[in-house]
Amino acid sequence: MKIKIGMIALASAAILIGAGGCTDTVVQPKSAITSANVFNDPSSYRAFLAKVYAGLAVSGQQGPAGQPDIQGIDEGFSQYLRLYWEAEELPTDEAAIAWNDVGLPEMNTQLWAASNSFVVAMYYRIFFQIGMANEFLRETSDNALAGRNVSADLKTKIQQYRAEARFLRAFSYWNGMDLFGNIPLVTEKDSLGSTPPKQATRADLYSFVVSELKDIHDQLPEPGPNTYGRATRPADDMLLAEVYLNAGVYTGTPDYTDALTSAQAVINSGYYSLNPNYRQNFMADNNTSPEIIFSIPQDGTHEQTWGGVTFLVHAECGGNMNNADYGVDGCWWGIRLKPQAYALFDSTDKRASYFYTNGQSVDMSSIPNFQAGVAAPKFTNMTSSGHAGSNATFVDTDFPVFRLAEAYLIYAEAQLRGGGGSRAQALAYVNALRERAYGGTSGDITDAQLTLPFILNERGRELLWEAHRRTDLVRYGEFTGGSYLWAWKGGTQAGTATQDFRNLYPIPESELVANPNLKQNPGY
Amino acid sequence: MKRLWFMTAAVSALLAAAAPLAAQRSEGTVQGRIVDSTSQQPVVGASVTVGPRTTLTRGDGRYSITVPAGTYTLEARTIGYAPRRQSVTVTAGETVTVDLTLTAQATNLAAIVVTGYGQQRAGDVTGAVSQLTPAEFNPGKIISPQSLIQSKVAGVQVVDNNEPGGGISIRIRGATSVNASSEPLYVVDGMPLGTGAGTGLSDGRDALDFLNPNDIASITVLKGASAAAIYGANAANGVVLITTKAGSGGARVEYTGDVTSSTIERVPQMLDASQFRTAVQQYSPQSMSQLGSANTDWFSQVERNGAGQEHNLAISGSGPAMNYRLSFGYLNQQGVIKGTSAERASLGLNYDQRFLNDRLDIHTNILGSQTVNHYTPGGVLSNAAQMGPTQPIYDPSSTTGFYNWPGNTLQSADNPIEALKLSTDQGHTLRSLGTIQADYSLPWIDGLKAHVDLGYDATSATRRTFNSGAQHAQLKSGEGGSMYWSTPSMTNTLLDTYLDYNAAAWVLPGTIDLTGGYSYSESNAQYPYVSATGLATNLLGINGIPASTVLQANPTIQQSRLISFFGRANYNYEDRYLAAFSIRRDGSSRFGPSQAWGIYPSVALAWRISQEGFMKRFKRLSDLKLRASYGKTGNQAFANYQQYANFVVGDAQSQAQFGNGFVTTIRPSAVDPNIKWESTSSYDLGLDYGFDNQRFSGAIDYYIKSTSDLIFTVPVAAGTNLSNYLTTNIGSMRNAGVEFSLSADVIQGGHSGFSWSTDWTAAHNANKLTAINPILTGAAAKQQQILTGSVAGGVGTLIQVLEPGQPINSFFVYKQNYAGGKPTEGSYADLNGDGQVNVADRRAYHDPAPKWILGHTSNMTYGSWDAAFTLRAYLGNWVYNNIESNLGDYQELQRASPYNLSSNVLVTGFKTPQYLSDYYVQNAEFLRMDNVTVGYRFKYQGRPVRAFGTVQNVFTISPYSGVDPTAGLNGIDNNIYPRSRIFTAGLNVVF
Repeated sequence: MKIKIGMIALASAAILIGAGGCTDTVVQPKSAITSANVFNDPSSYRAFLAKVYAGLAVSGQQGPAGQPDIQGIDEGFSQYLRLYWEAEELPTDEAAIAWNDVGLPEMNTQLWAASNSFVVAMYYRIFFQIGMANEFLRETSDNALAGRNVSADLKTKIQQYRAEARFLRAFSYWNGMDLFGNIPLVTEKDSLGSTPPKQATRADLYSFVVSELKDIHDQLPEPGPNTYGRATRPADDMLLAEVYLNAGVYTGTPDYTDALTSAQAVINSGYYSLNPNYRQNFMADNNTSPEIIFSIPQDGTHEQTWGGVTFLVHAECGGNMNNADYGVDGCWWGIRLKPQAYALFDSTDKRASYFYTNGQSVDMSSIPNFQAGVAAPKFTNMTSSGHAGSNATFVDTDFPVFRLAEAYLIYAEAQLRGGGGSRAQALAYVNALRERAYGGTSGDITDAQLTLPFILNERGRELLWEAHRRTDLVRYGEFTGGSYLWAWKGGTQAGTATQDFRNLYPIPESELVANPNLKQNPGY
Repeated sequence: MKRLWFMTAAVSALLAAAAPLAAQRSEGTVQGRIVDSTSQQPVVGASVTVGPRTTLTRGDGRYSITVPAGTYTLEARTIGYAPRRQSVTVTAGETVTVDLTLTAQATNLAAIVVTGYGQQRAGDVTGAVSQLTPAEFNPGKIISPQSLIQSKVAGVQVVDNNEPGGGISIRIRGATSVNASSEPLYVVDGMPLGTGAGTGLSDGRDALDFLNPNDIASITVLKGASAAAIYGANAANGVVLITTKAGSGGARVEYTGDVTSSTIERVPQMLDASQFRTAVQQYSPQSMSQLGSANTDWFSQVERNGAGQEHNLAISGSGPAMNYRLSFGYLNQQGVIKGTSAERASLGLNYDQRFLNDRLDIHTNILGSQTVNHYTPGGVLSNAAQMGPTQPIYDPSSTTGFYNWPGNTLQSADNPIEALKLSTDQGHTLRSLGTIQADYSLPWIDGLKAHVDLGYDATSATRRTFNSGAQHAQLKSGEGGSMYWSTPSMTNTLLDTYLDYNAAAWVLPGTIDLTGGYSYSESNAQYPYVSATGLATNLLGINGIPASTVLQANPTIQQSRLISFFGRANYNYEDRYLAAFSIRRDGSSRFGPSQAWGIYPSVALAWRISQEGFMKRFKRLSDLKLRASYGKTGNQAFANYQQYANFVVGDAQSQAQFGNGFVTTIRPSAVDPNIKWESTSSYDLGLDYGFDNQRFSGAIDYYIKSTSDLIFTVPVAAGTNLSNYLTTNIGSMRNAGVEFSLSADVIQGGHSGFSWSTDWTAAHNANKLTAINPILTGAAAKQQQILTGSVAGGVGTLIQVLEPGQPINSFFVYKQNYAGGKPTEGSYADLNGDGQVNVADRRAYHDPAPKWILGHTSNMTYGSWDAAFTLRAYLGNWVYNNIESNLGDYQELQRASPYNLSSNVLVTGFKTPQYLSDYYVQNAEFLRMDNVTVGYRFKYQGRPVRAFGTVQNVFTISPYSGVDPTAGLNGIDNNIYPRSRIFTAGLNVVF
């Protein structure tokens, strides 16, 4: 009997030890949305694509701040459009910002260091977008979808979503190679958390961007009621035109023919026309402008951020200006025109009608003094009918990334640079802009006046503060060096020649540590 | 399947070791029982050698050994006892009985020490282990068990927060982590608490307060990694093993009761009414019209003498094959701030039944308690500091009847008495812990035991916080009343099975103790809560939520699992050479798939030099043991699910526009799918010593703990992940220190004369963060600074730093310039000499952790009288005086309604805040008498009675100017709960 009980006890112990077979340590989270369950909801694909778009428009998952997309910098500063705008405008002849946030003053003078927090944040913002797009493409690959119950209808939609994600990725790669030169080329084929990627050359990146944009062109939709704020075929053509126009900068081999062809495709698509009211392109109701090809939407209720156009409208305002005139609750006393940009305009050019000079000097004797330099409240939270936007803090004004006017200017420049087309057509496109600006033919130019320097100046006028200026000056060879000096270039009020390596921003110092494959741009 | 390898190997080793020795016909058997000469209790695990063979006594003290016929000297020995030898003649085929008594020589070597999955005699311990029993515990009003060992164990820092039953932290040999927990693992009767480090779930106060200190038989601290490593991934911060009392002897009923009264030790020194008036007149004359004519000491209005009572009743006893103990406890302790109290009703049942001639032992333990806590409503203490002393308490014309500054502006303090009256913050916790343990001594192999333990730990807590919409704090913020109601619950379950084989070694001389087993534990928790603001009415108070303008709820479920295999081998050769090896393999649900299992080995060697022949001439030396050990342990006390790519759903203000509509977004988060434990490697070199049969004994230890794979959030290579920062295993930290202890029976007065025994401990620890991101070297590494330590005052002001090369949470401040002994306002040293004073001139400067912790206990008896006291001192600990920095400048008077100021402003004369000055980082070393107690024993109607009186926090001597130099772990003194001095008078009666 005793033995029997003993045996039973031993057997029980053995069974329990046998429970040692239970070695499954996996416990999936139940109250969280994870990669394991997120796509059980078919609407998640659209929501994820929406994030890739929202990465350009807001700074995180809580508006206006909270759950930031990137870390290491104030969340308001970290917003894509705000950083991109600062990188493209502040070091040029167009704008300067008064504030003293660490790293910001150097942006006005081209004297940034490799650890400049705005440069660093721009770099990481670009790669945040690329990372989001790559992850979207991984999660929507045929393999990934095969394991999930995805309807045929959704599958078709997802094909278009994928093209849109690739468009957004190409857009950010364009920004990345334009600003930083040789950066890593990471695609959905690289797995997450992989070893640090290799550095790609600007030419590699150029080829990638071009081939991607060509490849997705026909998978993107034609413009329609549901495409506002989203990538379309003309937007794709427009981005191609931008990339081709600068091919010489990126690869050493210009491609003005393709630039002209792509610009022509946008113009000929028939979806867009010049808005007779130039100003409406920058107003709270600019979503109704017939001219905008691709925009970063902003909304006082649904898309709140301390960056984006909210930043522009507030920062443009100061001095004697009345914030209520611009539909906002306050002025931040930040951005003004450098005198060279102001000088581009004559008094009858209606594109300068909103400049604010009361209490402002033309000369910029001091960057921190908002009233040194003419104010240019180009972006406003008022609608074309004179009403304020839905929210006095967060504006409704979308940012026009591409508009038809620029397609005209690209056509003209590419034509002048030997890209084919017709010179007469180029002149007609330029004069179409001039006639809108002057309210008639008084500002028309003659064929003899149609020169490359004129185009650069005309871009300065037409596209002022629309985040193109640095790229334009680099293409014209005027951004660095001493041939064209403007206020505070190189750190002096009169302007000083800067070294050519400043045509590129430095790769962040922290990134060189995190990714030993990278080589710093020369000069830094 | 791979994992079974480990188990199979362990079991096979055990069975091989146990290869039975077949009895032959020419052999005879010696058997008997070995008991303690004084107590007559069995001596367990004593080695009995007869000629060529050795065996060990079992749980009942019995042994049996078979040897070839002949005449032998039987030797029985175990550590702490004088060995006994006796001649024995064995006849073939017969059994001879030899019962022996052993006489204790040194009880502190013979004492049984609880270790992980087993126990050992103290003298055989190879690692750094300290065990305390009730005689050594701190007396007085102890609500949480951790306080029992404060100042008692070298290298163990116990930090309480002064509130009755408030949160308690323990640091064993310094902090090992920044972003995971640094709390030790607690194991109560074999059941690990919580989900790793720490004490588990509660309504907000210390979660271990569910355990009645009166039910505790011993607390063992596994300080060194070799001892703790058997707990693997949870052991990096050390392990605290708590064993509850079991019954013994005849049936008895014991009652202990006491009453207490506590007073506040110290409150912050603020300006009095006339000083305040003078200051306002000078610096904020526009506010003069607001000042009243009262003279209110706001701190005296919120403090009180706290009363308390405690009753414990225990019924215990034992029979031939069982013992039992049943206990009831009730405690009610008021805090020294009005409104705060802790109340606990507890129940304990400990039942042990032995079957099959004691071969099968079933042990059941159930502990249950209900705690009800009342908290100081938020802001009472800070408002007591800030409220103007010229203002009255009451204002009959206001809706609440309390005075408040006019205008309800955000820039005015609230009447703290109103907050006490109209806000409520209370918690309620039900917790039960139970284990059932079966030990079975297998019949056919001597010394082989099988263990099966099942355990549960279930907690259900409620926390409710209510702020009336009528009170000033709500009116000024426009919140309109608020209610927070959370009801977290957690259930942890455990299965341990292991085999233990304790016998003479079969190849080597000496004895072995082999343990191998499997452990499975699971935790399931829910965290529902509701938060409402803008209450439609205040009528419901904390009892319900009426209609409200904002209602938030975000309940979550948290689950985790830990699966372990473990094995240990102890080898003992004549109590002279000791060796211990252990290995644990832990699989945790918190580890990423490629790192799902971690291995934690340890090795410890000890040499009892005092046993060597050449030491025999040092007659007074009773113990000299050199110990060296190494162990690798882990820390998995970080959040669940870190390895899963989380999709964060965007809110309605961060959508994307698609056409004319807006789409809510989801964002995958950057994760390290291979997140794993933080890993600590420890080395310990120790010397145990004892003289005069352990009348004087102690230990010296030197240790180094190197922690790697610390979890930090660091930048990652762009493009490789979904954000630019990633939380990953990357940093490293180092702790090194020495510990000394000495116990001395200074005067041994015998039964009724004067006796005096003392314990001394001293421990030094130096902590250094060695790296955050090891890729960075040189200047770049130094520049990595993560700021921590938020203080009251400037929004977002952080006062501490994590910087490689510095102790963690070092203060990060400017060097103040002085003129004529007074700090010069706004004038700081240009430490980097670049001609300007800017952020680059802040530097790491001291840190909150004590460099030395000294402890002393004296116990005295004379006749029927006994007395004891405990002293504690810290050296090298610094505190940031946030009361003085936040309310130490005249600008605070210029608010819409002036704040009262720290009287320190009269010294500095600062006009603007100087939060970042090292002036406020103050030396907080101290000497404190933690407690003193006096008792008297007598008989009443034949029953033994002890009457006692205790005072806790008798005095504190410190250069620190704030209320308490032990101002929490983080060293920031910001309106902490004031320390109380507690007077206790009580009675212990045995029926």
